[in-house]
Formats: sequence, C-alpha cells, structure tokens
Amino acid sequence: MAVIVTKDLCRSYGSRRGIVDVNLTIEAGEIFGFLGPNGAGKSTTIRVLMGLLGAGAGSAKIFGLDCWSDGPVIRRDVGYVAGDVRLYSWLTARRGLRMLSRIHGRNLLAAGEELAERFRLEPDLPVRKMSRGNRQKVALVLALAHSPSLVILDEPTSGLDPLMQDTLMACLREMAAKGKTVMFSSHTLSEVETLCDHIAIVRDGRIVEDSTLSALKAQAPRQIIVTLQADQNAVSISWPGFVSVKYMPDETNADGPSERIQNSVAALISPSLRKRTCVLELMGSSMVFMQWAATQNFADVVIGPPSLEVLFRRYYETTMETV
Amino acid sequence: MSGLLQKIWIEVRWPVLWLSLGMCAVMSLLTALLPKVLGNIHQMFDNMPMVKPLLTALLGVDPGDQVSAQLSQAFLWVHPTVLTLLWAHEVMYCSRTPAGEIDRGTADFLLCLPVSRWSIFLSETIGWLVSGLCILTFGYAGHLTASLSVQPAMRLSTSDTMMVMANLGAVYLAVGGFSFLVSAFSDRRGRAIGVVFTTLLASFLLNFLAQFQDLAKAISPWLSVMEYYRPAIIIQTGTFPWSDVIVLLSLASVLWIAAGLVFRSRSICTV
Repeated sequence: MAVIVTKDLCRSYGSRRGIVDVNLTIEAGEIFGFLGPNGAGKSTTIRVLMGLLGAGAGSAKIFGLDCWSDGPVIRRDVGYVAGDVRLYSWLTARRGLRMLSRIHGRNLLAAGEELAERFRLEPDLPVRKMSRGNRQKVALVLALAHSPSLVILDEPTSGLDPLMQDTLMACLREMAAKGKTVMFSSHTLSEVETLCDHIAIVRDGRIVEDSTLSALKAQAPRQIIVTLQADQNAVSISWPGFVSVKYMPDETNADGPSERIQNSVAALISPSLRKRTCVLELMGSSMVFMQWAATQNFADVVIGPPSLEVLFRRYYETTMETV
Repeated sequence: MSGLLQKIWIEVRWPVLWLSLGMCAVMSLLTALLPKVLGNIHQMFDNMPMVKPLLTALLGVDPGDQVSAQLSQAFLWVHPTVLTLLWAHEVMYCSRTPAGEIDRGTADFLLCLPVSRWSIFLSETIGWLVSGLCILTFGYAGHLTASLSVQPAMRLSTSDTMMVMANLGAVYLAVGGFSFLVSAFSDRRGRAIGVVFTTLLASFLLNFLAQFQDLAKAISPWLSVMEYYRPAIIIQTGTFPWSDVIVLLSLASVLWIAAGLVFRSRSICTV
C-alpha cells in the first residue's frame, strides 16, 4: 500500500523555482531516501507533504488523504523533524511530551522518556540551554514518541554526533521492521546508502532518479584503481571499451591525479604509487574486467563496490554547471 | 486544544501578570490624582491653549473651562498610558501567531502538530480574550481601590464604570482583530507590530485633528477607532453606547474572521 503519493506536484515561490512535476510513490514499510544537493527542492516537497505549503499544481497525498485539506488527520500519524530545527526556548523534552500527550489524547511520557534515554537527552533541560545537537534530539524524541506510521525527517543527522547518528539509524530500522514508513531527506549520500532501500534524487526541483537501492547500484559504476609495473606505460595500454579511463599518468599531468581523484583514491593507494596509478570506471560486472586484467601483468588492481557517490556527483555536478 | 492552551499559558503568563499589575498601578494612581490635577485645569487652559483641544479629542466632548469631577474620571479611561498598556499587550499578543512563529522559526513545529490551523487560531483567541479580561479586571481593581480615597461625590457609579469598560472591551476586540489580520499576512513580527502601532497612532491623531479640520472630521468615523469610544458621553448621559459598541464588535468580528481565513489558507514559508 502506498503511504505517500505525489502526482505532477509543482510548487514555486513567486518567480523562483521550487519543485516541478514531482512524482513519488512510497510504499508502507519502506525507508525512502530523498537525495539532492542544497536547494534542489527536497524541503519544498516535504513542506507540501506536511501541509505547510499548498501545492501549486498536481496532488500530494499521505494515507490516501490530501496533504493540504486533511493535514490535521494525516499529522496524527506522522512524525516530522524539520531541516532547520527551531524550538521554543522554554521547551524541555518532558514539557513537549506533556503537551503532545494532551494533543494526541494519550500519555506519551513513558515512550518519550524511553526515547530521550536512548538519545541520552536530559528530559528537563530547556532548549535555550541546549546545543544544536541536543535540540535536534528533542525534535526527534517529540517526532517519534507517538510511534507514528510515517516519519518524515528533513536532514535529521545535522548536528548529531556519529554515535547518535547510529542510534537514530537503528531506531529508524526498527521502525521500518515494524512496518512503519520512513522518508529520509539528506544531501549526504553515505547515510542514505546505509539506511534506505528506495532512493529518489531531486535536481533543480525535478525527480531525476527514483529507484531501489539495488537497481541504483546496478547503474552505478565501480571505481577501479590499477597500479602499473615500473616499466609499463599507461598510454600504450589498449584499455577495453567497457571501462572508461578517468585518469592515467602521462607527461601532461606529471603532478599526479586531480584533487578530486586524489580524494577518492587517497584511502586506497599510497602517495608513492600514485604516479603509476590509473583510475578507471567500470559499468556492470567486474568479472569481465578481471579476466582482461589477468592478461595485463599489472602490479595491482583494486576494484571498488558500485559507487553511488559517482552517480550522485554526476547529478550534482550537472546542477552546479547549470547554475 | 488544551495542549495549545498550555503552550500559550507557559509563554504569556508572566508578561500578562506584569502588564496587569502595571495597569492596576496606573489606574489606581490616575483615579487618585486626576481629580486633583484636573481640578485646576482652567489655569493650564490659560497657559497652554493646546491642552484643551487635546482633552476634547480624548474625551470626545468639550470639557468647558472647568472639568467636573465625573469628567475627570472619564479622562482616566482615555488616558494615553491606559490605552498604551492595553494596546501594547494586544498588539504583542496578537502578532504571536503566525507572524511571531514564522519569525522565530517555530512555525514548522507548531503547524506540524496534529491540530488544524483553526484550532491554533481559536486557542490564541481564547488566550487573547482571557488575558485582556485579566488586564482590564486588574485595572478595574486598581481603580476601585483608589476610589476609596476619593470623595464619594467624585466617584463613578458601578453601572457607568461597567458601561465604559464594556466600550473599552469592544475597542480591545476591534484592535485585536486588526492585529490578528495584520499578523496573518505577515512573516515578520516586528513588521506586524509596526503596522498596527502606526495605524493606531494615525487613528489617534486623526481623532485629534478632527477637532480642527473638516476633512479629518469627515473621515474620522471611518478611520478612527476612538470615534467609537467616548467615556465622557457615557458618563454624562448614563446610557449604554449601543451603536458604538455594535460598530466596534462588527468590525472586530469581520477582522477576526478574515484573519482566521488568511491564516488557514496561506502557505507558511520559513526557508
């Protein structure tokens, strides 16, 4: 059953672009990753879903109900954390839970305090005395305390330390295991990659990719780092057509790989070998490449996993070029 | 809605208490001092001729050369300090939602609670009415207490006081309705407060200018809220100002409903 459905959803801010023809279908029990660079339209989509913004055109539905006109009913079963969390200075986790208990008509104190303990949050500390990370934790506790069927989180890990990020991820996985749906917006690929099983990438307000993680990984290239023997010349090697050569050492780039390639391979190869290193991208199975590489007498070959990072960068860089 | 009322209680209880105590103190001081000050007002009229039109504008009637004891009590209810305290409270209060919430970035939290915008607006309205009642009651208590120190002949009857307070309450509702409407359109609390205060000041000035200029006198009934608040006339005639109160309540209703509709239908953009 689809929990979130948007059809040709559009929303602009006067003459400024917001989102254009956004079509999303998120099924129950999915952890949905909503990826995109800053300003791509992730928050706008979420704000339409939460009934903060009206849709300019198209429709947005949660649980089959219209996000704008049925907002209060929908929000009874939705937990939401905004991208830029701002809370009342007087609010404490416990006060917030009491307030929410009255609004929901059931006692959320026990569930909320359990969450607060899990996130190592002082329940009686007011927001005005909290760090950004702790404010984020309060927002998370208040969003999750009523055990909603759908959780919408807009860049929720910003401000959280790595341990708390892990706690949040574990919490979300547990919720998904119970059949609850999670929509997780982020511009950090790694956290989406480790958490989500369905990913959409938004760029310039449009959905440019909407697929499962496994399907995306099948599309994603693998990065291959080939270290040549001292007497081998990269230019003279006849590289097969199923790989694209991203970098090879020759006279025109005697300083070694570009900064970006250096960054991506730095963890894998030692600096002394970089001038004998070629960086390739492979689409599809690595078996074919391994068979070819076995005939080439290379000093070493490192084949990385399918890299969503490369795929994402491709979308991202296209955005940057059009700006 | 009780959760929302709880939030309002936490946020406004101290400012309302301080304003109520302030109103109580101001009303008691003015009740005790005004008869003495205004008793010699004719000397001030001779030395400062501008004072008389100002007093006429505030009272809505010409006080003549002497200000009677009862008229001096009427001046209490239109004293700028009293009106400023009351209006300051409601302009601050009514600009809280949505302008204040958007301004401080908490609108996302509030509006994503499982309650309708009408519920939020209604709970804000309840808080506004209760806090206004509280401030007026404290003011009345201050006036009543200080009246004990005034000669019985100079005291206002309870019925006159209640009628004046009812008229002032209607002014409170009209100004609050306008503040809610401005706030509903605004994303910045400071701007909303500025617009309402400027309008109130203009309304006040227009009421003053109406004493001298025909044009101002002609447009004053349309644009000046003070045109519908004349405690001196209530005290002189002893009759309830039905027409003034009905105009003010109608205005308040229209403005309040418009504010609710705007708030319900507008997109909230904090990014």
